[in-house]
Amino acid sequence: MDVLDNLAEGQRRTESPPLHYDLNIQPKKNTMLVSHGLPPWYEEDGNRITDAFVVAVAGGSASGKTHVARRIVQSLGSIPAVIILSQDSFYRRHSPEEVELAHQNLMDFDHPDAIDMPLFASCLADLKARKQTNIPVYSFAEHQRLEETKYLYGASVIITEGILALHDPALRQLYDLKVFVQCDSDLMLARRIQRDTKERGRHVDGILDQYLRYVKPSYDNFVRPSASHADIIVPGSNNNVAIDLICTHIRRQLVERATRFRQKMAIPRLHMSTPRDTSPEALRIDVLPSTPQLKGIFTILRCKDTSRQDFVFFVDRLSTLVTEFALQHLPYVPATVITPTETPYHGKTLDAQDICGVLILRSGGALTRGVRRVINDIPLGSLLVQSDAKTGEPLLFQVLLPVCVRERHRAENAWVFLLDAQIGTGAAGFMAIRVLLDHGVRQDHIIFVTFLVARGGGVSVIRKAFPDIKIVCAAVDDEMREGWLEGYKGEGNPDGVGRKCWIMQPGMGQIGDRYYL
Amino acid sequence: MSSKAPTSQATSSLPPSVFTLPQTAQLEALYTIIRDKNTRRGDFLFYSDRIIRLLVEEGLNHLPVVPKTIETPTGCSYEGVGFEGKICGVSILRAGEAMEAGLREVCRSVRIGKILIQRDEETAQPKLFYSKFPPDIAQRYVLLLDPMLATGGSAMKAIEVLMEHGVPEDRIIFINLISSPEGLNTFCKKYPLVRVITGWIDQGLNEKAYIIPGLGDFGERRYCS
Repeated sequence: MDVLDNLAEGQRRTESPPLHYDLNIQPKKNTMLVSHGLPPWYEEDGNRITDAFVVAVAGGSASGKTHVARRIVQSLGSIPAVIILSQDSFYRRHSPEEVELAHQNLMDFDHPDAIDMPLFASCLADLKARKQTNIPVYSFAEHQRLEETKYLYGASVIITEGILALHDPALRQLYDLKVFVQCDSDLMLARRIQRDTKERGRHVDGILDQYLRYVKPSYDNFVRPSASHADIIVPGSNNNVAIDLICTHIRRQLVERATRFRQKMAIPRLHMSTPRDTSPEALRIDVLPSTPQLKGIFTILRCKDTSRQDFVFFVDRLSTLVTEFALQHLPYVPATVITPTETPYHGKTLDAQDICGVLILRSGGALTRGVRRVINDIPLGSLLVQSDAKTGEPLLFQVLLPVCVRERHRAENAWVFLLDAQIGTGAAGFMAIRVLLDHGVRQDHIIFVTFLVARGGGVSVIRKAFPDIKIVCAAVDDEMREGWLEGYKGEGNPDGVGRKCWIMQPGMGQIGDRYYL
Repeated sequence: MSSKAPTSQATSSLPPSVFTLPQTAQLEALYTIIRDKNTRRGDFLFYSDRIIRLLVEEGLNHLPVVPKTIETPTGCSYEGVGFEGKICGVSILRAGEAMEAGLREVCRSVRIGKILIQRDEETAQPKLFYSKFPPDIAQRYVLLLDPMLATGGSAMKAIEVLMEHGVPEDRIIFINLISSPEGLNTFCKKYPLVRVITGWIDQGLNEKAYIIPGLGDFGERRYCS
């Protein structure tokens, strides 16, 4: 939940926009820190082009790893979505006997065998590949891994921190930069005594006993030797210069990646004008059959003089119709029931474990009531995608997905209704589809439901990149034209200046504004 | 699959004034839920409402529209249509009332008249006990609501009453969820100009004049069970 909390927080901050604000707070471990929206991490064919950048910080216990990791995060203030992943989360699940030993301080938590390295590596590999992961939660009070897990998604920089972070070869393969914090043993011991007596209320005898029995041998046998794998060795104190060097290196790496990939990034509007067959049939868009009522509803919705009450009422009516229509794409199997007249009826039943909706905010929210009228208890997640005021590229601000999508094994079978008011440039929809695919949702299980599609717009790029998704809409408009959008105060646009944007023709105007404001 | 056979047979020989919903797997799944005698009342309400909404939407498509050109917020002109003619709903008590919420979701604040028709125990014929209509009903299109068309007796009586109030036959649209083939035939023979929108045409009637397989007593399941 911290991911979401922090994303939400990041979004709230845009009220008084600190684009490059300093992260003065102490970054918590295993928590996504976000300072602004995430730009595309994929190219126009829909494939991922940048992995997350992974930094490992290893070193002895109390050597100052966390300090180094936090300083790196602080120096990356303007970099979106950073996470400090702690080795401590990956302690193995213990048997009852081991738990007993642990409570008597007779468990060696400093030995590599105490860590579930394969799980650590697979979680990190998922995050690096921009997939979601659910990391284990370890309780030091119970000396046990808990049943709950923690969902993480969307990091562009990952800092892995732990005494044995450089020990495991599988983990080492995932790192882009390996840092070892070198500190004198006596200094580490002094810090350890200070910390454990003050913060954990322990006695010096116990601390020394544990140190000599487990901490020191582990340091000598495993931790210290792993320094040979490091790209850079940082002193454990007075290390400002070294940290600055590291941060400069990381920033340069990130900027290089960004410039290298910016050209290839999927901004569908750049590819819109390519002449292609853009008939609904060629684009495989399912359009709600035209009826007199549908035409009448659209006449009201498209009219600039329609009152807000009417607009809301007819949007709700239209969203109900288009959602009912979209439900045809779910799988049904034969089923027999007995009616109250005691007659068998050979009918059909829905054959899907998990069905959920994901709204692309804000205008996708206009479909909520219609969806609820059709599937009343459907879990509804949301994604906040906004265009960057300067570049026009889409930025992902918030990811709030239903549980059945967060967990990979359920996501692989889930059916997702992706809901947005229209597909114009398609940039937000494109990003949303990529987010769902990152979570393991099958392409042919994504049903994109929308009121309007501009066939001259980004829908052809979406169709080309994701040939198997289903697109269902109520009407198809012909074209997009460039227009001027009144400014919204927000990310990168503190004064709310207007900007150029693409407007659907004839369209329904700004659907979100007309529905909500 | 076998359940589809009688339906498609009936559909092929439908009177021209009868319209069904597209018989999709999804619609069939909705009917499977509301037909199941073990379905709880909450689900019965929710899924029957979904079908009712689709039926009302289909019924409204039989109302006239006129060409209308409007200007969009983006400054384009759009050749659309405007709704023409006033409408009202008339529900046959008690079960027909269950369809009013669905009607109001589609037609906000539409006027709704009521008719109570019951079987006269002496003559075994349907008898009018009560009716209350908007005063200008003769100038309106009427959406007549009754969920089940079994023998068609009360529906035909309701049409008779509406026509006595001056509503032309061809301005009445009768909306129901399930019809029996025999009821449908009798009704359409007597009132060929009334358009009938039905969700599903079943096999027939049993000795108690219940539709088979049907869904039992709609009003009872909706309000009481």
